[in-house]
Amino acid sequence: MTMTDVAFYLLSGFAIWTGWRVFRVDSMIRATFLLLLSFTSVGLIGLLLSASYLGAATIFMMAVEMMVMGLFMVMFMMNPAGLNPMMMVHQHRLSIVAGLLIFAAMTGAVLLTPLPSDPVAADRPVLRDLGIELLGDSMLIFETAGVTLLATMLGAVVLSSRRGRFGPTDAGSVPPGLSAGGPPAGRQPKGGGSHGGHGGHGGHGGQGGKGAHDGHGGGGSHGGHGKNGGDGNHGGHGG
Amino acid sequence: MSLIVGLPALLALLLIGLWAAAALDTAIGRLIVGRPVGMAATDPLRAVVADYLRQRTDTEAPDHLNWLLAPGYYFLLAVVGLALVPFAPDQSLIALDTSVVLWGAAEAVVVVAVFLHGWSPNAPFPLIGAYRYVAIGLPVMLLSMFVLIAASIPAQSLDLRAVVESQRGLWNVIRQPLGLPLFLAVVMSLTLRGPFDYADSADLAGGTSAEDGGPRWIAWQTARAAMLVAACAIAATAFLGGYLGPVLPGWLWLSLKTLAVMVAVVLLTHLVPRMPVARMLTLIWIVLLPIAFLDLLIAGLGAL
Repeated sequence: MTMTDVAFYLLSGFAIWTGWRVFRVDSMIRATFLLLLSFTSVGLIGLLLSASYLGAATIFMMAVEMMVMGLFMVMFMMNPAGLNPMMMVHQHRLSIVAGLLIFAAMTGAVLLTPLPSDPVAADRPVLRDLGIELLGDSMLIFETAGVTLLATMLGAVVLSSRRGRFGPTDAGSVPPGLSAGGPPAGRQPKGGGSHGGHGGHGGHGGQGGKGAHDGHGGGGSHGGHGKNGGDGNHGGHGG
Repeated sequence: MSLIVGLPALLALLLIGLWAAAALDTAIGRLIVGRPVGMAATDPLRAVVADYLRQRTDTEAPDHLNWLLAPGYYFLLAVVGLALVPFAPDQSLIALDTSVVLWGAAEAVVVVAVFLHGWSPNAPFPLIGAYRYVAIGLPVMLLSMFVLIAASIPAQSLDLRAVVESQRGLWNVIRQPLGLPLFLAVVMSLTLRGPFDYADSADLAGGTSAEDGGPRWIAWQTARAAMLVAACAIAATAFLGGYLGPVLPGWLWLSLKTLAVMVAVVLLTHLVPRMPVARMLTLIWIVLLPIAFLDLLIAGLGAL
Protein backbone atom coordinates (compact mmCIF):
# COMPACT_ATOMS: atom_id res chain seq x y z
CA MET A 1 0.00 0.00 0.00
CA THR A 2 1.51 3.31 -1.03
CA MET A 3 1.10 6.66 0.72
CA THR A 4 -1.51 7.58 -1.89
CA ASP A 5 -3.58 4.52 -0.93
CA VAL A 6 -3.37 5.37 2.76
CA ALA A 7 -4.37 8.96 2.07
CA PHE A 8 -7.24 7.78 -0.13
CA TYR A 9 -8.69 5.50 2.56
CA LEU A 10 -8.25 8.10 5.30
CA LEU A 11 -9.93 10.82 3.24
CA SER A 12 -12.73 8.47 2.16
CA GLY A 13 -13.36 7.50 5.76
CA PHE A 14 -13.37 11.14 6.83
CA ALA A 15 -15.74 12.07 4.00
CA ILE A 16 -18.18 9.34 5.05
CA TRP A 17 -17.92 10.15 8.77
CA THR A 18 -18.48 13.88 8.28
CA GLY A 19 -21.29 13.11 5.84
CA TRP A 20 -22.97 11.02 8.53
CA ARG A 21 -22.40 13.71 11.17
CA VAL A 22 -24.30 16.20 8.97
CA PHE A 23 -27.50 14.42 9.96
CA ARG A 24 -26.61 13.97 13.63
CA VAL A 25 -25.75 17.52 14.70
CA ASP A 26 -28.37 19.92 16.00
CA SER A 27 -27.52 23.15 14.19
CA MET A 28 -27.72 24.29 10.60
CA ILE A 29 -24.32 25.97 10.64
CA ARG A 30 -22.66 22.85 12.03
CA ALA A 31 -24.43 20.67 9.46
CA THR A 32 -23.42 23.04 6.65
CA PHE A 33 -19.75 23.06 7.50
CA LEU A 34 -19.60 19.33 8.19
CA LEU A 35 -20.93 18.90 4.68
CA LEU A 36 -18.16 21.25 3.54
CA LEU A 37 -15.58 19.04 5.29
CA SER A 38 -17.03 16.03 3.52
CA PHE A 39 -16.83 17.73 0.12
CA THR A 40 -13.32 18.98 0.89
CA SER A 41 -12.21 15.40 1.51
CA VAL A 42 -13.70 14.42 -1.84
CA GLY A 43 -11.88 17.35 -3.46
CA LEU A 44 -8.60 16.21 -1.92
CA ILE A 45 -9.26 12.69 -3.24
CA GLY A 46 -9.63 14.38 -6.64
CA LEU A 47 -6.17 15.91 -6.17
CA LEU A 48 -4.82 12.44 -5.33
CA LEU A 49 -6.41 10.98 -8.47
CA SER A 50 -4.61 13.52 -10.68
CA ALA A 51 -7.81 15.48 -11.30
CA SER A 52 -5.97 18.53 -9.98
CA TYR A 53 -8.29 21.16 -11.44
CA LEU A 54 -11.55 19.42 -10.55
CA GLY A 55 -10.29 18.64 -7.04
CA ALA A 56 -9.23 22.21 -6.27
CA ALA A 57 -12.35 23.61 -7.95
CA THR A 58 -14.55 21.31 -5.83
CA ILE A 59 -13.06 22.73 -2.63
CA PHE A 60 -13.32 26.26 -3.99
CA MET A 61 -16.93 26.02 -5.14
CA MET A 62 -18.11 24.10 -2.09
CA ALA A 63 -16.52 26.55 0.36
CA VAL A 64 -18.32 29.49 -1.25
CA GLU A 65 -21.52 27.56 -1.74
CA MET A 66 -21.70 26.23 1.82
CA MET A 67 -20.92 29.68 3.22
CA VAL A 68 -23.74 31.25 1.21
CA MET A 69 -26.08 28.35 1.95
CA GLY A 70 -25.43 28.57 5.69
CA LEU A 71 -26.14 32.30 5.69
CA PHE A 72 -29.32 31.94 3.67
CA MET A 73 -30.61 29.15 5.88
CA VAL A 74 -30.04 31.26 8.97
CA MET A 75 -31.64 34.24 7.24
CA PHE A 76 -34.80 32.47 6.15
CA MET A 77 -35.36 30.16 9.08
CA MET A 78 -36.65 30.71 12.56
CA ASN A 79 -33.41 29.92 14.37
CA PRO A 80 -31.05 32.84 13.91
CA ALA A 81 -27.36 32.04 14.18
CA GLY A 82 -28.14 28.36 14.38
CA LEU A 83 -26.66 27.85 17.84
CA ASN A 84 -29.95 26.88 19.46
CA PRO A 85 -30.32 23.11 19.30
CA MET A 86 -32.88 21.92 16.78
CA MET A 87 -33.89 18.64 15.16
CA MET A 88 -32.27 18.51 11.76
CA VAL A 89 -34.09 15.45 10.40
CA HIS A 90 -37.76 14.64 9.92
CA GLN A 91 -40.06 11.99 8.39
CA HIS A 92 -37.79 9.35 9.92
CA ARG A 93 -39.38 6.18 8.56
CA LEU A 94 -39.79 7.46 5.01
CA SER A 95 -36.25 8.82 4.91
CA ILE A 96 -34.73 5.62 6.29
CA VAL A 97 -36.50 3.53 3.63
CA ALA A 98 -35.62 6.02 0.88
CA GLY A 99 -32.01 6.20 2.06
CA LEU A 100 -31.59 2.41 2.11
CA LEU A 101 -33.19 2.03 -1.32
CA ILE A 102 -31.00 4.71 -2.88
CA PHE A 103 -27.90 3.27 -1.22
CA ALA A 104 -28.73 -0.20 -2.55
CA ALA A 105 -29.43 1.15 -6.04
CA MET A 106 -26.23 3.19 -6.23
CA THR A 107 -24.05 0.44 -4.78
CA GLY A 108 -25.62 -2.03 -7.18
CA ALA A 109 -25.00 0.30 -10.09
CA VAL A 110 -21.33 0.68 -9.13
CA LEU A 111 -20.79 -3.05 -8.54
CA LEU A 112 -22.68 -4.27 -11.61
CA THR A 113 -21.25 -1.79 -14.12
CA PRO A 114 -18.15 -3.06 -15.93
CA LEU A 115 -15.91 -0.12 -15.06
CA PRO A 116 -13.30 0.64 -17.73
CA SER A 117 -9.63 0.37 -16.90
CA ASP A 118 -8.15 3.15 -18.96
CA PRO A 119 -5.17 4.76 -17.20
CA VAL A 120 -4.34 8.26 -18.38
CA ALA A 121 -0.81 8.71 -19.68
CA ALA A 122 1.26 10.83 -17.29
CA ASP A 123 2.27 13.33 -19.97
CA ARG A 124 -1.25 13.93 -21.20
CA PRO A 125 -2.30 17.62 -20.86
CA VAL A 126 -5.38 16.84 -18.76
CA LEU A 127 -6.01 20.46 -17.84
CA ARG A 128 -5.89 21.60 -21.46
CA ASP A 129 -8.22 18.77 -22.53
CA LEU A 130 -10.68 19.77 -19.82
CA GLY A 131 -10.59 23.41 -20.95
CA ILE A 132 -11.20 22.44 -24.58
CA GLU A 133 -14.10 20.23 -23.49
CA LEU A 134 -15.69 22.89 -21.26
CA LEU A 135 -15.41 25.67 -23.83
CA GLY A 136 -15.77 23.52 -26.93
CA ASP A 137 -18.21 20.68 -27.52
CA SER A 138 -19.90 20.88 -24.11
CA MET A 139 -20.14 24.65 -23.91
CA LEU A 140 -23.85 24.80 -24.72
CA ILE A 141 -24.68 22.23 -22.03
CA PHE A 142 -22.66 23.96 -19.32
CA GLU A 143 -23.88 27.45 -20.19
CA THR A 144 -27.51 26.28 -20.28
CA ALA A 145 -27.14 24.53 -16.94
CA GLY A 146 -25.39 27.56 -15.44
CA VAL A 147 -28.01 30.07 -16.52
CA THR A 148 -30.82 27.74 -15.44
CA LEU A 149 -29.30 27.32 -11.98
CA LEU A 150 -28.80 31.07 -11.62
CA ALA A 151 -32.41 31.74 -12.61
CA THR A 152 -33.57 29.07 -10.14
CA MET A 153 -31.58 30.63 -7.32
CA LEU A 154 -32.88 34.13 -8.04
CA GLY A 155 -36.42 32.78 -8.33
CA ALA A 156 -36.14 30.92 -5.02
CA VAL A 157 -34.90 34.03 -3.23
CA VAL A 158 -37.59 36.23 -4.77
CA LEU A 159 -40.35 33.75 -3.89
CA SER A 160 -39.17 33.08 -0.36
CA SER A 161 -38.42 36.67 0.55
CA ARG A 162 -41.73 38.14 -0.58
CA ARG A 163 -43.44 37.49 2.72
CA GLY A 164 -41.38 39.86 4.81
CA ARG A 165 -41.38 40.35 8.54
CA PHE A 166 -43.71 43.34 8.35
CA GLY A 167 -45.94 42.29 5.42
CA PRO A 168 -45.29 41.64 1.72
CA THR A 169 -41.99 43.21 0.80
CA ASP A 170 -43.16 44.41 -2.60
CA ALA A 171 -45.97 46.43 -0.96
CA GLY A 172 -43.44 48.69 0.73
CA SER A 173 -43.57 47.02 4.12
CA VAL A 174 -42.08 49.07 6.91
CA PRO A 175 -41.48 48.27 10.56
CA PRO A 176 -43.85 49.87 13.08
CA GLY A 177 -42.85 53.18 14.60
CA LEU A 178 -41.16 53.55 17.95
CA SER A 179 -44.04 55.75 19.15
CA ALA A 180 -47.70 55.40 18.16
CA GLY A 181 -48.21 56.84 14.68
CA GLY A 182 -44.55 57.84 14.50
CA PRO A 183 -42.15 57.25 11.62
CA PRO A 184 -41.05 53.65 11.05
CA ALA A 185 -38.19 52.44 13.18
CA GLY A 186 -34.76 51.78 11.77
CA ARG A 187 -32.96 53.33 8.85
CA GLN A 188 -34.79 53.86 5.60
CA PRO A 189 -33.43 52.76 2.24
CA LYS A 190 -32.51 55.55 -0.13
CA GLY A 191 -35.45 56.87 -2.14
CA GLY A 192 -36.29 56.11 -5.75
CA GLY A 193 -34.88 52.61 -5.85
CA SER A 194 -31.63 54.06 -7.16
CA HIS A 195 -29.64 51.78 -4.98
CA GLY A 196 -27.30 49.57 -6.94
CA GLY A 197 -28.96 46.23 -7.51
CA HIS A 198 -25.92 44.31 -6.40
CA GLY A 199 -24.64 46.40 -3.61
CA GLY A 200 -26.76 46.64 -0.55
CA HIS A 201 -29.45 43.99 -1.04
CA GLY A 202 -31.80 46.84 -0.46
CA GLY A 203 -34.75 44.85 0.88
CA HIS A 204 -33.13 43.27 3.87
CA GLY A 205 -33.72 45.46 6.84
CA GLY A 206 -30.75 47.47 7.93
CA GLN A 207 -28.51 47.09 4.91
CA GLY A 208 -29.93 49.68 2.60
CA GLY A 209 -29.03 53.13 3.82
CA LYS A 210 -25.72 54.82 3.49
CA GLY A 211 -25.10 56.03 7.01
CA ALA A 212 -23.82 53.17 9.08
CA HIS A 213 -24.45 54.32 12.57
CA ASP A 214 -27.78 54.98 14.18
CA GLY A 215 -27.86 57.24 17.11
CA HIS A 216 -25.01 59.57 16.34
CA GLY A 217 -27.13 62.67 16.53
CA GLY A 218 -24.90 65.02 18.46
CA GLY A 219 -25.94 67.96 20.63
CA GLY A 220 -29.58 67.09 21.02
CA SER A 221 -30.27 67.02 17.29
CA HIS A 222 -33.38 65.07 16.54
CA GLY A 223 -33.12 63.34 13.19
CA GLY A 224 -35.40 60.81 11.66
CA HIS A 225 -38.63 62.74 11.21
CA GLY A 226 -39.94 64.32 8.08
CA LYS A 227 -38.12 63.29 4.92
CA ASN A 228 -36.86 59.80 4.64
CA GLY A 229 -34.59 60.23 1.69
CA GLY A 230 -31.43 61.43 3.39
CA ASP A 231 -28.15 59.66 3.18
CA GLY A 232 -27.38 59.38 6.85
CA ASN A 233 -30.63 59.11 8.74
CA HIS A 234 -29.86 59.48 12.37
CA GLY A 235 -31.90 57.27 14.54
CA GLY A 236 -33.28 59.99 16.74
CA HIS A 237 -31.21 59.33 19.85
CA GLY A 238 -30.34 62.95 20.43
CA GLY A 239 -27.04 63.08 22.30
CA MET B 1 11.48 19.33 -3.01
CA SER B 2 11.21 16.60 -0.46
CA LEU B 3 8.81 17.07 2.40
CA ILE B 4 11.38 16.25 5.10
CA VAL B 5 13.66 19.11 4.10
CA GLY B 6 11.02 21.44 2.71
CA LEU B 7 8.50 21.54 5.52
CA PRO B 8 10.91 22.56 8.34
CA ALA B 9 12.48 25.16 6.03
CA LEU B 10 9.05 26.53 5.20
CA LEU B 11 7.99 26.66 8.85
CA ALA B 12 11.25 28.41 9.77
CA LEU B 13 10.66 31.02 7.06
CA LEU B 14 7.08 31.39 8.25
CA LEU B 15 8.28 31.96 11.82
CA ILE B 16 10.63 34.72 10.67
CA GLY B 17 7.82 36.14 8.56
CA LEU B 18 5.46 36.12 11.55
CA TRP B 19 7.92 38.05 13.65
CA ALA B 20 8.61 40.48 10.78
CA ALA B 21 4.87 41.03 10.28
CA ALA B 22 4.26 41.74 13.97
CA ALA B 23 7.29 44.05 14.28
CA LEU B 24 6.39 45.93 11.07
CA ASP B 25 2.81 46.36 12.17
CA THR B 26 3.87 47.74 15.55
CA ALA B 27 6.59 50.02 14.18
CA ILE B 28 4.60 51.47 11.28
CA GLY B 29 1.50 51.85 13.42
CA ARG B 30 3.46 53.88 15.97
CA LEU B 31 5.25 55.96 13.32
CA ILE B 32 1.97 56.93 11.68
CA VAL B 33 0.31 58.11 14.87
CA GLY B 34 3.51 59.95 15.83
CA ARG B 35 4.51 57.88 18.84
CA PRO B 36 8.12 56.82 19.43
CA VAL B 37 8.85 53.50 17.74
CA GLY B 38 10.62 52.16 20.82
CA MET B 39 11.14 48.42 21.02
CA ALA B 40 8.84 47.54 18.12
CA ALA B 41 10.89 44.43 17.37
CA THR B 42 10.39 42.81 20.77
CA ASP B 43 7.12 44.35 21.94
CA PRO B 44 4.97 41.81 20.06
CA LEU B 45 6.83 38.96 21.79
CA ARG B 46 6.27 40.61 25.15
CA ALA B 47 2.59 41.01 24.28
CA VAL B 48 2.37 37.28 23.54
CA VAL B 49 3.75 36.41 26.97
CA ALA B 50 1.48 38.94 28.67
CA ASP B 51 -1.57 37.58 26.83
CA TYR B 52 -0.65 34.04 27.73
CA LEU B 53 -0.67 34.93 31.42
CA ARG B 54 -3.93 36.84 31.16
CA GLN B 55 -7.15 35.46 32.59
CA ARG B 56 -8.94 33.00 30.29
CA THR B 57 -12.57 33.84 29.67
CA ASP B 58 -15.42 31.82 28.26
CA THR B 59 -18.88 32.60 26.96
CA GLU B 60 -22.18 30.91 27.64
CA ALA B 61 -22.74 27.76 25.56
CA PRO B 62 -20.13 28.33 22.86
CA ASP B 63 -19.19 25.84 20.16
CA HIS B 64 -15.92 24.85 21.84
CA LEU B 65 -14.68 22.64 19.02
CA ASN B 66 -15.00 25.24 16.27
CA TRP B 67 -13.70 28.00 18.51
CA LEU B 68 -10.60 25.88 19.04
CA LEU B 69 -10.29 24.84 15.41
CA ALA B 70 -10.89 28.18 13.67
CA PRO B 71 -7.37 29.60 14.26
CA GLY B 72 -6.03 26.19 13.24
CA TYR B 73 -7.90 26.28 9.93
CA TYR B 74 -6.71 29.81 9.31
CA PHE B 75 -3.09 28.92 10.07
CA LEU B 76 -3.25 25.75 8.00
CA LEU B 77 -4.57 27.69 5.00
CA ALA B 78 -1.63 30.08 5.36
CA VAL B 79 0.79 27.13 5.38
CA VAL B 80 -0.89 25.67 2.27
CA GLY B 81 -0.59 29.06 0.53
CA LEU B 82 3.09 29.33 1.41
CA ALA B 83 3.71 25.75 0.31
CA LEU B 84 2.40 26.61 -3.17
CA VAL B 85 4.96 29.41 -3.62
CA PRO B 86 8.00 28.38 -5.67
CA PHE B 87 11.29 29.24 -3.93
CA ALA B 88 13.46 28.43 -6.94
CA PRO B 89 12.79 27.17 -10.49
CA ASP B 90 10.47 24.16 -10.13
CA GLN B 91 10.88 24.13 -6.35
CA SER B 92 7.65 24.43 -4.41
CA LEU B 93 6.60 22.22 -1.55
CA ILE B 94 3.26 21.35 -3.15
CA ALA B 95 4.03 20.59 -6.78
CA LEU B 96 0.68 21.04 -8.47
CA ASP B 97 -0.17 22.21 -11.98
CA THR B 98 -3.21 24.10 -10.69
CA SER B 99 -1.65 25.91 -7.74
CA VAL B 100 -3.47 29.16 -8.60
CA VAL B 101 -6.81 27.34 -8.27
CA LEU B 102 -5.79 25.71 -4.99
CA TRP B 103 -4.80 29.12 -3.62
CA GLY B 104 -8.23 30.38 -4.69
CA ALA B 105 -9.77 27.48 -2.76
CA ALA B 106 -7.69 28.42 0.29
CA GLU B 107 -8.99 32.00 0.01
CA ALA B 108 -12.56 30.73 -0.09
CA VAL B 109 -12.02 28.62 3.02
CA VAL B 110 -10.53 31.65 4.82
CA VAL B 111 -14.01 33.21 4.72
CA VAL B 112 -15.38 30.04 6.32
CA ALA B 113 -12.67 30.01 9.00
CA VAL B 114 -13.28 33.65 9.93
CA PHE B 115 -17.03 33.08 9.98
CA LEU B 116 -16.66 30.06 12.26
CA HIS B 117 -14.36 32.02 14.55
CA GLY B 118 -17.06 34.67 14.93
CA TRP B 119 -19.95 32.24 15.11
CA SER B 120 -18.62 29.79 17.69
CA PRO B 121 -18.30 32.07 20.78
CA ASN B 122 -22.11 32.47 20.76
CA ALA B 123 -21.84 36.19 21.49
CA PRO B 124 -23.27 39.23 19.67
CA PHE B 125 -20.18 41.19 18.59
CA PRO B 126 -18.28 38.21 17.18
CA LEU B 127 -21.42 37.10 15.35
CA ILE B 128 -21.99 40.53 13.78
CA GLY B 129 -18.34 40.60 12.77
CA ALA B 130 -18.68 37.16 11.19
CA TYR B 131 -21.74 38.04 9.10
CA ARG B 132 -20.29 41.39 8.09
CA TYR B 133 -17.07 39.75 6.99
CA VAL B 134 -18.84 37.22 4.78
CA ALA B 135 -20.69 40.02 2.97
CA ILE B 136 -17.36 41.71 2.16
CA GLY B 137 -15.07 38.68 1.94
CA LEU B 138 -17.00 36.83 -0.77
CA PRO B 139 -17.09 39.63 -3.39
CA VAL B 140 -13.44 40.50 -2.63
CA MET B 141 -12.62 36.91 -3.53
CA LEU B 142 -14.03 37.55 -7.03
CA LEU B 143 -11.42 40.31 -7.42
CA SER B 144 -8.73 37.84 -6.47
CA MET B 145 -9.97 35.32 -9.02
CA PHE B 146 -9.89 37.80 -11.89
CA VAL B 147 -6.47 39.29 -11.13
CA LEU B 148 -4.89 35.87 -10.58
CA ILE B 149 -6.38 34.51 -13.81
CA ALA B 150 -5.02 37.62 -15.54
CA ALA B 151 -1.60 36.94 -14.01
CA SER B 152 -1.63 33.37 -15.30
CA ILE B 153 -2.65 34.31 -18.86
CA PRO B 154 0.90 35.26 -19.99
CA ALA B 155 2.14 31.97 -18.53
CA GLN B 156 -0.65 30.01 -20.26
CA SER B 157 -0.74 27.92 -17.11
CA LEU B 158 -2.46 27.83 -13.72
CA ASP B 159 0.83 26.80 -12.14
CA LEU B 160 2.57 29.45 -10.01
CA ARG B 161 5.94 28.03 -11.08
CA ALA B 162 5.08 28.78 -14.71
CA VAL B 163 3.66 32.18 -13.72
CA VAL B 164 7.06 33.13 -12.27
CA GLU B 165 8.94 31.83 -15.30
CA SER B 166 6.69 33.87 -17.60
CA GLN B 167 7.91 37.03 -15.83
CA ARG B 168 11.57 36.57 -16.81
CA GLY B 169 11.29 39.31 -19.42
CA LEU B 170 8.84 41.64 -17.71
CA TRP B 171 7.17 41.46 -14.31
CA ASN B 172 3.41 41.25 -14.19
CA VAL B 173 3.25 44.39 -12.07
CA ILE B 174 4.34 46.37 -15.16
CA ARG B 175 2.57 44.20 -17.72
CA GLN B 176 -0.73 44.35 -15.79
CA PRO B 177 -0.53 47.51 -13.67
CA LEU B 178 -4.02 47.04 -12.19
CA GLY B 179 -3.32 43.57 -10.81
CA LEU B 180 -1.15 44.25 -7.78
CA PRO B 181 -3.19 47.15 -6.32
CA LEU B 182 -6.34 45.04 -6.53
CA PHE B 183 -4.56 42.09 -4.98
CA LEU B 184 -3.40 44.29 -2.09
CA ALA B 185 -7.09 44.83 -1.34
CA VAL B 186 -7.55 41.06 -1.38
CA VAL B 187 -4.60 40.63 1.00
CA MET B 188 -6.12 43.14 3.42
CA SER B 189 -9.46 41.34 3.26
CA LEU B 190 -7.84 37.93 3.80
CA THR B 191 -5.92 39.17 6.83
CA LEU B 192 -8.72 41.33 8.29
CA ARG B 193 -6.81 44.57 8.03
CA GLY B 194 -7.46 48.29 7.76
CA PRO B 195 -10.08 49.33 5.21
CA PHE B 196 -11.17 45.69 4.70
CA ASP B 197 -11.29 44.72 8.36
CA TYR B 198 -14.98 44.06 8.77
CA ALA B 199 -14.44 41.07 11.06
CA ASP B 200 -12.15 42.17 13.88
CA SER B 201 -12.46 45.93 13.84
CA ALA B 202 -12.52 48.30 16.79
CA ASP B 203 -16.08 49.48 16.09
CA LEU B 204 -17.26 46.01 17.17
CA ALA B 205 -14.90 45.94 20.18
CA GLY B 206 -12.72 43.42 18.36
CA GLY B 207 -15.46 41.70 16.31
CA THR B 208 -14.92 37.99 15.89
CA SER B 209 -12.13 38.04 18.47
CA ALA B 210 -14.01 40.19 20.98
CA GLU B 211 -14.43 37.19 23.26
CA ASP B 212 -10.92 35.81 22.72
CA GLY B 213 -8.65 36.00 25.74
CA GLY B 214 -5.23 34.60 26.52
CA PRO B 215 -4.05 31.73 24.30
CA ARG B 216 -7.09 32.02 22.03
CA TRP B 217 -6.18 35.61 21.24
CA ILE B 218 -2.55 34.66 20.60
CA ALA B 219 -3.59 31.78 18.32
CA TRP B 220 -5.93 33.95 16.24
CA GLN B 221 -3.47 36.83 15.89
CA THR B 222 -0.70 34.40 14.95
CA ALA B 223 -2.90 32.84 12.28
CA ARG B 224 -3.73 36.32 10.95
CA ALA B 225 -0.05 37.20 10.71
CA ALA B 226 0.71 33.85 9.05
CA MET B 227 -1.95 34.55 6.44
CA LEU B 228 -0.35 37.96 5.87
CA VAL B 229 2.99 36.28 5.17
CA ALA B 230 1.42 33.72 2.82
CA ALA B 231 -0.73 36.23 0.90
CA CYS B 232 2.21 38.63 0.50
CA ALA B 233 4.37 35.78 -0.79
CA ILE B 234 1.67 34.90 -3.33
CA ALA B 235 1.47 38.58 -4.37
CA ALA B 236 5.27 38.71 -4.78
CA THR B 237 5.14 35.51 -6.83
CA ALA B 238 2.25 36.45 -9.09
CA PHE B 239 3.16 40.10 -9.72
CA LEU B 240 6.78 40.80 -8.71
CA GLY B 241 8.55 37.89 -10.35
CA GLY B 242 8.90 35.72 -7.24
CA TYR B 243 12.40 34.31 -6.92
CA LEU B 244 13.69 36.04 -10.07
CA GLY B 245 16.55 38.49 -9.57
CA PRO B 246 20.29 38.92 -10.06
CA VAL B 247 23.18 37.91 -7.75
CA LEU B 248 21.26 36.97 -4.60
CA PRO B 249 19.78 33.46 -4.25
CA GLY B 250 16.15 33.03 -5.31
CA TRP B 251 14.65 32.42 -1.88
CA LEU B 252 16.24 35.65 -0.63
CA TRP B 253 14.77 37.63 -3.52
CA LEU B 254 11.38 36.10 -2.78
CA SER B 255 11.70 36.99 0.91
CA LEU B 256 12.70 40.60 0.11
CA LYS B 257 9.80 41.03 -2.31
CA THR B 258 7.41 39.48 0.21
CA LEU B 259 8.69 41.93 2.80
CA ALA B 260 8.17 44.84 0.38
CA VAL B 261 4.55 43.80 -0.24
CA MET B 262 4.08 43.42 3.50
CA VAL B 263 5.31 46.96 4.14
CA ALA B 264 2.84 48.26 1.54
CA VAL B 265 -0.04 46.32 3.10
CA VAL B 266 0.81 47.45 6.63
CA LEU B 267 1.08 51.08 5.46
CA LEU B 268 -2.33 50.85 3.78
CA THR B 269 -3.73 49.21 6.93
CA HIS B 270 -2.83 52.20 9.03
CA LEU B 271 -3.41 54.96 6.46
CA VAL B 272 -6.71 54.14 4.74
CA PRO B 273 -9.95 54.53 6.70
CA ARG B 274 -12.72 51.96 6.77
CA MET B 275 -16.09 52.69 5.14
CA PRO B 276 -19.54 51.58 6.22
CA VAL B 277 -20.32 48.08 4.98
CA ALA B 278 -22.96 49.14 2.45
CA ARG B 279 -20.68 51.73 0.88
CA MET B 280 -17.82 49.25 0.72
CA LEU B 281 -20.10 46.73 -1.02
CA THR B 282 -21.00 49.37 -3.59
CA LEU B 283 -17.33 50.19 -4.08
CA ILE B 284 -16.43 46.53 -4.59
CA TRP B 285 -19.23 45.68 -7.00
CA ILE B 286 -19.49 48.97 -8.93
CA VAL B 287 -15.87 50.15 -9.01
CA LEU B 288 -13.32 47.49 -8.13
CA LEU B 289 -14.91 44.57 -9.99
CA PRO B 290 -15.10 46.43 -13.34
CA ILE B 291 -11.44 47.43 -12.81
CA ALA B 292 -10.66 43.74 -12.34
CA PHE B 293 -12.46 43.00 -15.65
CA LEU B 294 -10.32 45.70 -17.26
CA ASP B 295 -7.22 44.03 -15.84
CA LEU B 296 -8.32 40.74 -17.37
CA LEU B 297 -8.96 42.49 -20.69
CA ILE B 298 -5.49 44.06 -20.65
CA ALA B 299 -3.95 40.67 -19.91
CA GLY B 300 -5.96 39.02 -22.69
CA LEU B 301 -5.08 41.69 -25.26
CA GLY B 302 -1.45 41.47 -24.21
CA ALA B 303 -1.48 37.74 -24.83
CA LEU B 304 -2.99 38.06 -28.31
